[in-house]
Amino acid sequence: MTALLEVDGCTKRFGGLVANHDVTLAIEPGEIVGLIGPNGAGKTTLFNCISGRLHADEGRIRFAGADITRLGADRICHLGVARTWQIVRAFGRMTVLDNVMCGAFGRTNRTSEARVRARRLLDFTGLAGHEPVLAANLTLADKKRLEIARALATQPRLLLLDEAMSGLTPLETAAAVDLVRRIHAELGLAICVVEHVMEVVMPLSHRVVVLDHGEKIAEGEPRDIVRNELVIRAYLGDRYGAGR
Amino acid sequence: MTLVLQAVVNGLEMGLVYALVAVGLAIIWGLMEMINFAHGELLMLGMFGAWWFSTTLHLDPLLAIPPVALVMFGVGRLIYTLLMRRVQRGETFAQIFATIGLFFFLQNSAVAAFTSDYRFVEGGLLSRLSGINLHLAGLSVGLPLLIAGALALVLFLALYLLVERTEFGLALQATSEDREAAMLVGIRPQRMFAVAWGLGAALVAVAGAILANFFAAYPQVGFPFTVLAYAIVALGGFGSILGTLLAALLVGVVQSVTVVYLPPAFKDAFVFASYLLIGLLRPQGLFGKF
Amino acid sequence: MPALALAAAALIALALPIPLQVAGYSYFVTVAFLVILNAMLGVGWNVIGGWAGQFDFGPNVFFAVGAYVAALLAVHLALSPWLGLVAGVGAAVVICAVLTWPITQLRGHYFAIATVAIWMIAQPIGATWELINGSRGLFLPLRPATGPLDAVVSLRFPGRSKALAFYYVILVLFAVTLVLLRMVDRSKLGFYFRAIRDDQEGAEGIGIDSRLYKVIARSITAAVFAAAGVVYAFWALAVFPEQVLDLNWSTFPMMATVVGGIGSLWGPVVGAVLLIPISQLMGATLGAGPLAGRGIDLVVYGVIIMLVAALRPNGLLSLPWRAWGRRLVGRRR
Ligand SMILES: Nc1ncnc2c1ncn2[C@@H]1O[C@H](COP(=O)(O)OP(=O)(O)OP(=O)(O)O)[C@@H](O)[C@H]1O
Ligand SMILES: [Mg+2]
Repeated sequence: MTALLEVDGCTKRFGGLVANHDVTLAIEPGEIVGLIGPNGAGKTTLFNCISGRLHADEGRIRFAGADITRLGADRICHLGVARTWQIVRAFGRMTVLDNVMCGAFGRTNRTSEARVRARRLLDFTGLAGHEPVLAANLTLADKKRLEIARALATQPRLLLLDEAMSGLTPLETAAAVDLVRRIHAELGLAICVVEHVMEVVMPLSHRVVVLDHGEKIAEGEPRDIVRNELVIRAYLGDRYGAGR
Repeated sequence: MTLVLQAVVNGLEMGLVYALVAVGLAIIWGLMEMINFAHGELLMLGMFGAWWFSTTLHLDPLLAIPPVALVMFGVGRLIYTLLMRRVQRGETFAQIFATIGLFFFLQNSAVAAFTSDYRFVEGGLLSRLSGINLHLAGLSVGLPLLIAGALALVLFLALYLLVERTEFGLALQATSEDREAAMLVGIRPQRMFAVAWGLGAALVAVAGAILANFFAAYPQVGFPFTVLAYAIVALGGFGSILGTLLAALLVGVVQSVTVVYLPPAFKDAFVFASYLLIGLLRPQGLFGKF
Repeated sequence: MPALALAAAALIALALPIPLQVAGYSYFVTVAFLVILNAMLGVGWNVIGGWAGQFDFGPNVFFAVGAYVAALLAVHLALSPWLGLVAGVGAAVVICAVLTWPITQLRGHYFAIATVAIWMIAQPIGATWELINGSRGLFLPLRPATGPLDAVVSLRFPGRSKALAFYYVILVLFAVTLVLLRMVDRSKLGFYFRAIRDDQEGAEGIGIDSRLYKVIARSITAAVFAAAGVVYAFWALAVFPEQVLDLNWSTFPMMATVVGGIGSLWGPVVGAVLLIPISQLMGATLGAGPLAGRGIDLVVYGVIIMLVAALRPNGLLSLPWRAWGRRLVGRRR
C-alpha cells in the first residue's frame, strides 16, 4: 500500500533563500508525524507547499495517489488535506458557528446540514457555547481550536497543524494535546504536527521528521530522535539531549 | 514615424508633470494606504491658487508655488486631523465615503467662490514662451512644457530624497510597513499620517499651480486627474516613489501616442487598458516589489 | 431587522407615495423612486463590497449594460421591457463574469483600480459605438399604451401617473432583489463571500475557490445593477452614455451602504433613505433662489457626509438601536 502523503524531493526558494531543499517524507494513513526544526527551518513552507498555498519549485507531492504539486489550495482541500495556520486565520468578523459552517460547506450545499455538522464539531472541540461569539473576540487558544474545528469540518484525511499549541498556557496546551489525541483516536485522521515544545511533540508523535535550514536531517521514532547527534547539535540544544 | 516620436516626446514632458500629480497620492495611498477621492480637488485648489495669485497680485504664476505649497501643506494636515484621523477607526470603505464628502465640499466651495467659468492664467513666463520650440533631430520640444517638466522633476527628486534618504522618510516608511513596530521605536504614527497628508496635498497642489499655465482652471477640473493618479500609483507598484515616476512617464506617452491614432476620448481608456494588461502580467505592479 | 420594524417600513414604502400623489407632489414621488432605485443599487453593491469585501468602483458599467440591452431590444425588436429585463440582466452577468475573471487575480487596491479601468474603457466605447448611437443617445420609441394592461407590460404610463407607476415598479423589483439576496446571504454563497472578505488565504485553505466566488459575487452585483438600469432606461425614455455611465451610479449606492452600515442587508436601505432625500431636499432649497447654481447645496451635503463619516465611521446601523428601542418600549410601559 502506498502512503497517504508522499513528498518527493520538494524544493522551494524565495529569491536566493532556499526554504526547503530536496525534502522527502511520507505520511501513512492514521499516523501522527511530528515535524520539528529550529526557527526558519522551513516547516511552514513545507506545509504551504503541501496545502497548495505555495507551489514547490522542484519535486513532486502526491496525496492518496494523486499528484497535487501544482493544484490550488482549494482543490487540495477537497481532496482531503486540511490545515491550520501558525498565525491564526480565523474569519474574524464571522461568528464561531459560521466559521465552522464555512468549512462544512465544502462537503454540502445545504445550510441546515452544514449547521448540524458544525455544531457537532464545536461539541467535539470543546467550543460549544461560543457559537454566537465573533471569532475576533476569542482567546488565542480558542481561535486555534476554532481553526481545528473548521479544518475538521472539511472532512479531511490528513490534518496539518502548524504550531497549534504555541503561545498557550500549560493548561491550554494539555487540552490541545488531548484534542489532537481524540482527533486521532475517534476520527482516525493522519496528522502532521509542527511544534516547538519538545515535551509536547515527542510523546504525541509516532514518528518525527527534523528539518534544519530547509533540509531533512533526521527521521525516526521520538526516542531515537532525541539521541540523534545531528539533531541535538542543530536544534535540541544540550539541555534536552544531555538530560537523557 | 516622426509623428509617433514627436508624440513620445510630448508624452514624456507631460508625464513629468503627471509624476508630480501622482506622487502625493503615492504617499497618501501607496505608502499610508489611505484613500483620497478628492485628490484632484486639491490639484484644482492649486490651480485656482496660481490663478488668483497672478490675477490679483499680478505676479508670475510660477511664483505662486511656494505659497501654494505652504498653504496646502496646512490644508492637508487639517484634512487628516479633522477628518481622516477619526475615519481611520472604521472600515476602509469609510475613507472612500468621507473623501467623497470632501470631494463635494471642495469642488462646490470652488463653484461658490469662483463660479464654474474657465479661468486662464495670463501673462506668466510660460505663456510668454509659448510657441517657442527647441528643435532636436527633427523633433520639436515645446519650451514651456519642458520648463514645467524640469520643475516637476526637480520637486519630484527632492521628495524622493526626502522619503528615501532622510530620517523623516525612514520614519514614514516604517509607519507604512508596520505601525505597531514604528510606535515601539518612538514614532508617532498619527503625526506621520498628518505630515503625509500635508506633503501629499502640497505636492499635488504645486502640480496644479504648474498645470494652471497650460490648462484652464475650473471647479470640475480635478476628477480626471484623480483617476489618472490612481492608475499611475497602482502601475508604479503602490508606494514605490521611483516606480511612480516611471509609470507617470509611461502614462504620458500612452496618452499622447493614442491621440495620434484615435479620437482623444480614448486616451485615458488606453492608459487603463495598459494598466489591465500590465496588471494581469505583473500583478504586483510595474515596478513593485513583492 | 425585527419583524415589527420591517412591517412598518414595508407599509410606509407601500402607502407613502399615495398621499403625495393625491396632493399633487409628484416631484416627491420621483424622489421616492430615486430612493428605492439607489437602495436597490446599494444592496446590490453590498454583495461585492460588503459581503465579499472587494473594492468595486465600477458596477455602473452593468447599469449601462442593462439600460442599453433593454433599450436596443425595445428599439429594434419592439421587445417588452420585462423581456428586456431578463436579457439585460443575463447580458450583464455574462459580461461581468468574462471581464471579472481575469482581474480577480489582482487583490485589494489593484482590483479596485481594475474595476475603474473597465469603466474608463467603457466610456469612450459608449460615446463612439454606432450600434448604440454613440453620444447621440438611444431614444425609446414613444407610443401611448393601449390600456392599463399594456401600460404595465410595456412600462408606458401616461403623464401624471408615471412617477407613481414607476415607483411601484422599482419597489417590486427591489422587494424581489431583497428576497433573493436574503437567500444568498444565508446560503453557502453568503458564507463563502464573507470568508473571502475576512481572510482570503484562510478561505482557500478550507476549499473555497476565491476567484470563482469573487466572480459570482460581482456578477450578482452586476445583475442587480442591470435590472435597475433597465427600469431607469424606460423611466428616462432615452439612454445616453454619459448618463448611464455616470460615476454617481457607483458612488451613491456605495455611500448609502457605508452610511447605513456595510455588510448588513439593510444597511444600504437605511443609507439610501437618508442620503437621497437630503441631497434632493438640499437641491430644492439651497440649490434654488439667488444662489442657484453656486453649489451651496452640495457644499452642505459634503459637510454632512464628512460629519457622518467622522462621527460614525462604521455606519448608522452600528449605533445601539436595539438598546434604544428596548428603552423606548420600556418607558412606555
Ligand atoms: N513568503 C516568503 N517570502 C520570502 N521568504 C520567506 C517566505 N516565507 C518564508 N520565508 C523564509 O523561508 C524560511 C523558512 O521559513 P518558514 O516559515 O518555513 O520556517 P519555520 O520552520 O516555519 O519557522 P518558525 O518556526 O519560525 O515558524 C525563513 O528564512 C523565512 O524567512
Ligand atoms: Mg512556521
